[in-house]
Amino acid sequence: MKVEPFLWLMISCSLLIIAFILIPLFEMVAQPTAAAMAETFQDADVLRSILFSLSTAAAAAVISFVLGTPFAYLLARRTFPGKKIMESVVDLPIMIPHPVVGIALLSIAGRNHWIGQYLQAMGITLMGTATGIIAVMTFVGIPFYINTVKAGFESIPVRAENVARSLGASRSGAFFRVTFPLAWRSMVVGMIMCMARGISEFGAIVIVAYHPMVASVMIYERFTAYGIKYSQPVAVWLILICLFLFLLLRFFSIQPKSTT
Amino acid sequence: MRPDKLKFFVIFFVTVFVLFFAGTATAREKVVIFHAGSLTVPFAKMEKVFEAAHPDIDILREAGGSTKMARMISELHKPADIMASADFAVIDKTLIPQYATWNIRFATNQIVLCYTENSQFADQINPDNWYDILARKEVVWGHSDPNLDPCGYRSLMVLQLAEKFYKRPGLYDRLIANRPQKNIRGKSVELVSLLKTGNMDYAWEYLSVAVQHELKYVSLDSHINLGDYNYDAFYKQAMVKVTGNKPGTWTTRTGKSCTYGLTMIRDGANAKGAEQFLAYLLDPDGGLKVLSEMGQPPFIPAWVPSDEIKAVLPDKVAQWVDVRQ
Repeated sequence: MKVEPFLWLMISCSLLIIAFILIPLFEMVAQPTAAAMAETFQDADVLRSILFSLSTAAAAAVISFVLGTPFAYLLARRTFPGKKIMESVVDLPIMIPHPVVGIALLSIAGRNHWIGQYLQAMGITLMGTATGIIAVMTFVGIPFYINTVKAGFESIPVRAENVARSLGASRSGAFFRVTFPLAWRSMVVGMIMCMARGISEFGAIVIVAYHPMVASVMIYERFTAYGIKYSQPVAVWLILICLFLFLLLRFFSIQPKSTT
Repeated sequence: MRPDKLKFFVIFFVTVFVLFFAGTATAREKVVIFHAGSLTVPFAKMEKVFEAAHPDIDILREAGGSTKMARMISELHKPADIMASADFAVIDKTLIPQYATWNIRFATNQIVLCYTENSQFADQINPDNWYDILARKEVVWGHSDPNLDPCGYRSLMVLQLAEKFYKRPGLYDRLIANRPQKNIRGKSVELVSLLKTGNMDYAWEYLSVAVQHELKYVSLDSHINLGDYNYDAFYKQAMVKVTGNKPGTWTTRTGKSCTYGLTMIRDGANAKGAEQFLAYLLDPDGGLKVLSEMGQPPFIPAWVPSDEIKAVLPDKVAQWVDVRQ
């Protein structure tokens, strides 16, 4: 049998990366005893915080879907001056340190800023509210949504839309009847990415809202107040529940058989 | 690949590698210090002064709630050489005897009520009416989490002592009822940004934090500010329930004056450098002077509670330390 060095390079790099991700996580998952896991699962605070993480992250994903889809479509289909800059702006939340995101959002939401005064007049506060948490999660998650969906739109030939339009469909008609049915999977994947990013966020959330507690903040609080023994089961439950949900979503959105 | 693309590719990678080596290649000795969040500003100044005098030593600081920082050492075994805590009892409780041997008391602090000129009723508040203003519905005020941060349970103690000192039965409960849970933060320094961005009107902080962050503050009577050990008998009346060793369990913290403690972690990677830094920190003309300039009264000299403890201090450190009961 002929040994192909390039293939071996690919395989060994892949194995190295998989091991790098899985070994620490396995260590984490394997450490808590079954009793500690069971006890944690009966802790109403823990369940509430995990559920709260999921629901706020889902809200951020929905917002990203509603606002991000047209934006992603624009970026995928049009060229215009300043497009490169716009794309870089979309990526900005990925590289900004998380606490900076929290402080930045708080500083426009406070009474010292005109936007904050306006928001407070409408009864909207970000500090210590679910609204604030969703704002943070949307901020950090929306780049993942837009980039994923943009790539999805780009993979659909413009020709398909043009054919629909030449047959008399309006621009929106072509979008909803041709592009959307072909691109919805990328939207599901984008929403999963956005949600996942939201659930993992800690640094910005802890600044905007310590209470009500999302799971990542609770893990930190448990670690600080009681130590690793009581924070780990919370983390493991969060990982397991998210893994299950995301596998489920991926499973249902699987491409039947790629035609590209 | 076209030649100009190839050129870009090569330049990009060279830049990334240069950044990589620029970041990782430092040859200086490292001294790692974990300290209370409230010590951040004076310790940053000390780091600068000390490193200028000792260019071969690199001081690496990590700040956080004292209880958390101690846990980083005792549970995550994060390497550290020095630990400085906002409550000396944290060192006694979490680090001695397994991770440290001694505990030097080196500074005090007191609790003040901070605000900014944009806070509601900023033009009215004074040492005699602060508790009425904090009880007003529209006023947003907060403190740090009593379970995580000594400043948190100390803030609650101040409220309890105020009830006793001003003879206002029910004051504590009335005030807490006007402080929704969302106004609590993990550590007190985080409240500063809430004040400055106008998300919060008043926050309980250490005096030193108020001075360093240029906040306005209300100073309180010595009977209730936890800043003077002569009033320890009065402070003792305050009791705050905080979480115990596991979720659902509780312990009680009893009021006493704010006393900061520091220790060297046994088996630290750089004991020699750590001793040098402590010798600078405890010098009344060195670190202790920096502390007092920044609104935090140091103990001059710093002290330990017994001769036996003084006997085990490293020589460089012991020269600045007294024995006091």
